[in-house]
Amino acid sequence: MESKLKIESNDWCPGCGNFGIIRAEEMALKELKLDNESTVVVSGIGCSGKLPHFMNMRISGVHTLHGRALAFALGIKLANPRLNVIINAGDGDTYGIGAGHFVNAGRRNVDMVLVVHDNGVYGLTKGQAAPTLPYGEKTKSLPKPNIMNAINPLAVALASGYTFVARGYAYDVVHLKEIVKKAITHKGMALIDVLQPCPTYNDINTKEWYDKRVYKLESEGWDPVVKSESEAQEKLEKAIGKALIYSEKIPIGVFYQNELVPTFEDRIKSNIPNYLENPPALQQIDSNGISIFDPLTIINKVE
Amino acid sequence: MQISWLTGGPQGSGVDTAANIFSSTIIKLGYYVFGSREYYSNIKGRHSYFNISISDKPVNSLNSKVDILAAFDAETVFQHFDELKGYLIVDKSIFNDSLDSQRLMEDEIKERAESILDKQGLEHTVKGVVDYLKSINIAVYDVDFSSIISRIIKDLSIDAYLALRAKNIIAISLSLSLLGADKSFLLQAIKERFKNELFYRFNSAAVDYSYNLIESRFKLNKRESKRFYSLDGNTLSALGKIAGGLRFQSYYPITPASDESTFIEANQILNLDKDIKGGVVVVQTEDELSAINSAIGAALTGARAATATSGPGFSLMAEGISWAGMNEVPVVITYYMRGAPSTGLPTRSGQADLKFALNAGHGEFPRIVLASGLHYEVMSDAAYALNLAARYQTPVIHIIEKSLANTYSSIEEDLLKVRLKIDKIKRADSESIKDYKRFLCTEDGVSPFAPLGETRIFYSGDEHDEYGYISEAPLNREKIYKKRMKKLDTADKEIPYNDRVRVLGNKDARYAVLTWGSPTGPLSDIIADNLLDILVVQVKIFNPYPSSYIKEILSNKTLIAVENNYNALGAEILKENTGIDVKKRILKLTGRVIYKDELYDALNKIIKSDTDKVFINDGK
Repeated sequence: MESKLKIESNDWCPGCGNFGIIRAEEMALKELKLDNESTVVVSGIGCSGKLPHFMNMRISGVHTLHGRALAFALGIKLANPRLNVIINAGDGDTYGIGAGHFVNAGRRNVDMVLVVHDNGVYGLTKGQAAPTLPYGEKTKSLPKPNIMNAINPLAVALASGYTFVARGYAYDVVHLKEIVKKAITHKGMALIDVLQPCPTYNDINTKEWYDKRVYKLESEGWDPVVKSESEAQEKLEKAIGKALIYSEKIPIGVFYQNELVPTFEDRIKSNIPNYLENPPALQQIDSNGISIFDPLTIINKVE
Repeated sequence: MQISWLTGGPQGSGVDTAANIFSSTIIKLGYYVFGSREYYSNIKGRHSYFNISISDKPVNSLNSKVDILAAFDAETVFQHFDELKGYLIVDKSIFNDSLDSQRLMEDEIKERAESILDKQGLEHTVKGVVDYLKSINIAVYDVDFSSIISRIIKDLSIDAYLALRAKNIIAISLSLSLLGADKSFLLQAIKERFKNELFYRFNSAAVDYSYNLIESRFKLNKRESKRFYSLDGNTLSALGKIAGGLRFQSYYPITPASDESTFIEANQILNLDKDIKGGVVVVQTEDELSAINSAIGAALTGARAATATSGPGFSLMAEGISWAGMNEVPVVITYYMRGAPSTGLPTRSGQADLKFALNAGHGEFPRIVLASGLHYEVMSDAAYALNLAARYQTPVIHIIEKSLANTYSSIEEDLLKVRLKIDKIKRADSESIKDYKRFLCTEDGVSPFAPLGETRIFYSGDEHDEYGYISEAPLNREKIYKKRMKKLDTADKEIPYNDRVRVLGNKDARYAVLTWGSPTGPLSDIIADNLLDILVVQVKIFNPYPSSYIKEILSNKTLIAVENNYNALGAEILKENTGIDVKKRILKLTGRVIYKDELYDALNKIIKSDTDKVFINDGK
C-alpha cells in the first residue's frame, strides 16, 4: 500500500464517454470500499478494454480477448467467489463477437457486473457499425448506411435471465455511479448498458442527441425490484416492454432486479457444500509436495 | 496366453453393460484385460462392438483375429465373421436374417461379406455365414436364445421387453462357459452391476439357463493375482487430474472428451487425506471459447485449472491458448484426438492433429505438448501436465487419443495407490507483492506468481512490461519476448529425457520403431511377447523436443515410423528437430486401433522385404 500507484497513461480521445464510465466505476468502488485487491476488472478488446489499465486504484486488471471477457470472468469468479468481479466490454465485444457468452451468462446468474460501453461503433478499428447501430444510419466512417438492424441489449438480457438489468448514460456520472453501486451489491448477474457517445466516429448519437432523449426511470416512479415470486413474471414483462422504448425518449436507470433467483455460486454450493469456504483457488492440494488425493477413494465408490 | 473375444449389437441395446460385466468377470478370475469400444456417431441402433483381449500378463493391445465371437444380432455376425478364427456363439433364432435387410450396415462391409458368401455359393443369411464358417473349420455353437428368453418370461412372470434385455447376458454366459470359467464369478459380477433386484433375478436366470448349454474349450481357472481395476483412458485422465490438484474444469460437450468431465462432475466432492473435504468445480460452458478462457480465468486465481476437448473444440481454443502463452498462465488442455479433419470420424481415433497441437495459437510462445501411450501412464501424465503447467507457467497440452480414451485395461492397485508428486508454482513473497511485477524477468524466465486477490496484478494480451501494463516500446518488447521464450530453454534443461522418451526392447536391435501415443500399446506387447527383435522409441513430450537424446538412441538404426496418420507426423517432428529422416512407415488411417497381429505382419513385411510404406486397415 505504501508504494505510489503506478498507472498507465490514458489515451482515450478527448470527450470520450469512457471517461464518464471509468469515473462512475471508480466512485462506486470507493464508496463501497472495494477500491482494493479484492476487485478484479476484466475487460475485452477495444477502447473499453483499456479501462482497468487506467483506473487509479489498487484493483487488479485482466485485459482479455475480443468477445471473451465474460468467459475469463466466469472462471475467475467461480474459482474464487470472494473476488468482486466487474467486466467492462464494448458493444461489439459483448453483443457481436461475444454474443454467445452474453446470452449464456443469463442462464447461470453468476454474481458479477457487466458494464457495456455502448456507442454503436467499433471505435478502435475506425468506426464500423456495431450491433447497436440502427438500420439505415450512416455514421461518419461508414461507406454506406448501415444495412443491419440494431439489437436491443436490455431485452435480450431480460429474456436470457439476467437478474439485474440497467441502462446508464456516460455523461450522467453520478446517476451511473449509483447504478454501478446497485449492480455490485446485487446478488446475481448484472448488466449495465451504458449509452456512450463516440466523439470521433459516431457523429449521429452525440451528446446533444442523447441529452434531448434520456430521462430517468425514477422520475416516473418505476419500481424494478421483484419482491416476491408472484410478481416476478409481471415485472419481467413490464421491464421488457420498457426496454423496447428507444426512440424520442430513452429511459435510463434500473429496469429490473430480482434477487430471488439463486446465483450460480448457490447452485454449486448445493452440489459441493463447502464450496464457498473452500473454493478452488484456496484449496489445499498437497502435503509437502505429495498429492493428498487417493484415486481409490473414487474408484472404489464407482466400482 | 491371450484370448480375443468380441461381442456386438445395436448401440443402446446393452452391449456396453454386457461387455463390462464380461470384463469384470475376467478380472475376478485373476486375468488381465484390454478392451476396446467401437461405435458410430449415433445414439441408438447402429452397430457397436467390444473387442477384449484376455491374458495372464498385462496386455495393452487387441488382435484383429478373434477367438470367440458372441452374437445375438445378425449385423454382428455379418460384420465380424471374416475376423473369426475360433468359435462362433450365435442365436439360432436369427439364422434366417438376411444381409440385405441390414439397413444401417455400410455398403463396403456388406459387399465384403457378400463376396465371401458368393464365392462359396451360399445364401446371404446368418445361416449362410454359419455354413461358411463350418466349411473353414470354425466351431459354431448355435443356441436358441428365444427359448431361453421365453423360459425366463414364464418362470419369473416378467414382461417380455425386460426379458429381451437378457440376450446380452446369455451371450456372455455362453462365452464364459466356453472359456471354462466358474459360473459363480459371473453371477457375482452381475450382482454387483444390477442393484435392482428384478434385474439381478432375470439376468442371473439367463446365466443359469444357458451356462451348461455348451462345453468348455478353454480352461480359464481362477488365478491368483494382484488386485486390479479395469479403467478407461477418460477415467484415468480424470483421476490423474484430480490427483494433480485440478479444482476447476470447464468443457463443452464433444466426443470422446466429455466423459472425462462428466466423470469428474459425478465425483466432484473429494474426500482427501486427514478428512479434508475438497471439491472440483466443473462448468459446462456455452462453447469451447468459453471453456478455454474460463479455465484460464480460474488459473489466474491460483486454482489448478483445465479443460478437455477434441479436434473441433481445440480449433476454437486457439486464440485463448495464445493469450495464455502471452500471459504465462498455467492451464492444461486435455486433447482427445479423433479422426480428422473437420468432424471427420467423431467416434473413431486418429493422430493427425499432432502439428496442430504443437502450433495452434498465433505467435511464438512456449508450450509443452505431451502424449500418453499406455493406460497406466495416462493417469500420471495427467497429473504431470498440471505440474509442468505450474512449473513453467504456460499452457500444457496433454494428448490422449480416442484409442486410449475408449479402451480400457486392468491396472494394478499398486499403480493406483502411488501418491503423485505436486510441483507447486513458484509464489511471490510478501515483500515483492507490494510493488508486484507479474512478469518479472528472472534467471530462468519464470516469474513468481501471485493469485488474483492477493495484490494489484495486471494481465494483458497486448505486449506488456514486467507489471503487465501495455507497452509497445521496442526494447521492452524484445526483453519480455525473450523472457517468455527462455522458459522453454529452462524446461529443456530441467525435464528429464526419461520423461520425454520411453525406450522399449533391445537397444542393440538393428530396427528402431519410432512412435507416439496409442500405437505404443501393440508395440509394447510385441516386445513383451518377444515376437521381434526391435527397439521401440516412444516420444512422450514433443515440446521441448528431446533432440540430442533421441539422436543418440536412433544412431545407426534402420527406422520405422508407426502412426495413425498419413504423413507420419511424429517422424516429421523428428526430422524438424534432428534432421533424421524416417523412410519406412506403417500407417493406419481407418480410425480403428492398431491391432497387434496386423502390426506384427506389417513390421515383418518391412523388415523382410524392401517395402518402405505399408498401410494397415484391419477392424470394422
